[in-house]
Amino acid sequence: MDFINFMDSQKQKIFIVIPAFNESVVIKDVIAEVNSAGYENIIVVDDGSSDNTFQKASEIQKIIALRHKINRGKGAATKTGIEAAKLLGAEIIVTMDGDGQHDPGDISKLVEPILEGKCDVVLGTRLKDPAGMPWYKIAQNKFGNLVTWYLFGLYVTDSQSGFRAYSRHAAEVVNTRGDRYEYDSEVLREIYIYKLKFKEVPIKVRYTEYSMGKLQKQGLVNGIKTFYRMVWKIIN
Amino acid sequence: MVIHLYQIIVIAISVVMIYGGTKNFIRGKSGQTLTKLMIRVFVWGGMSVIALFPEITNLLANLVGLQGNINAVILTGFLLIFLMIFKLLSAIERLEQNISELTRKESLEEIKKK
Repeated sequence: MDFINFMDSQKQKIFIVIPAFNESVVIKDVIAEVNSAGYENIIVVDDGSSDNTFQKASEIQKIIALRHKINRGKGAATKTGIEAAKLLGAEIIVTMDGDGQHDPGDISKLVEPILEGKCDVVLGTRLKDPAGMPWYKIAQNKFGNLVTWYLFGLYVTDSQSGFRAYSRHAAEVVNTRGDRYEYDSEVLREIYIYKLKFKEVPIKVRYTEYSMGKLQKQGLVNGIKTFYRMVWKIIN
Repeated sequence: MVIHLYQIIVIAISVVMIYGGTKNFIRGKSGQTLTKLMIRVFVWGGMSVIALFPEITNLLANLVGLQGNINAVILTGFLLIFLMIFKLLSAIERLEQNISELTRKESLEEIKKK
């Protein structure tokens, strides 16, 4: 059986988790794209949106739409999605953003090393091929990578990427406390502590006017808050 | 004994604070325990005593081995405040995690029902 057929046969075990906050404009398109890429097990976690993100996601049959009644943060929503995937028997869990920045075509690149048994976690990285990435985001990311390395002991090229894949084993052992953007860095700490095998894979990112205009993205102010939360969790 | 303006201000505020706490305690308002009242009397009463008799801080300075009575007061106050803030932040952190856990459990009920 060639690899493409093998992939198709394994897709039933792959769950895609999409945390979303106020993404009613694009959430249906994001889900449709993931479907088109051949993945049917989709879990959307609405993180207390004030728009009708949850309603829009619920309208699509066959996907699981969950809702946080109050906003708890991207990390909390991702964790809820992962817990849901575990309950549903997932063997591989892929997390991706709900704003359309991630290309579902990259999912196969993320899951392939796990299917081959080569690693437990695959991290999508924007910085191995940062074409189209604004210069200030590249600088922010590099700084974030250094801080994450210093605090959590693991250096990766994109510590803040939410496009990742986890084996069932990794999903069971990774235990984070961060609810917001510090979640992505805390996962790296867990990889380091539990000595999980990981790999970085280049991913495409689509910077649209819509996604760049979102207030809750990891800008400078949110970056400072994330840094504070990362330090606080160490000293507390 | 010469009374200065700052002493009058400190004593006035202390009286108001102790009176307010005592009134709330007597009325049995929720959250007003005897311990809280005692702490209030200790803190504000202490400030009044120090304002009226500043030389008492020399005793405190000698007790902890600090040079300069005002340094002893400021440093002690700073340490206490730092401890309180640390405790508060830890409590807030625990509460935030509890809220997230509860929110998660509620949202996962949808899956468990199916």
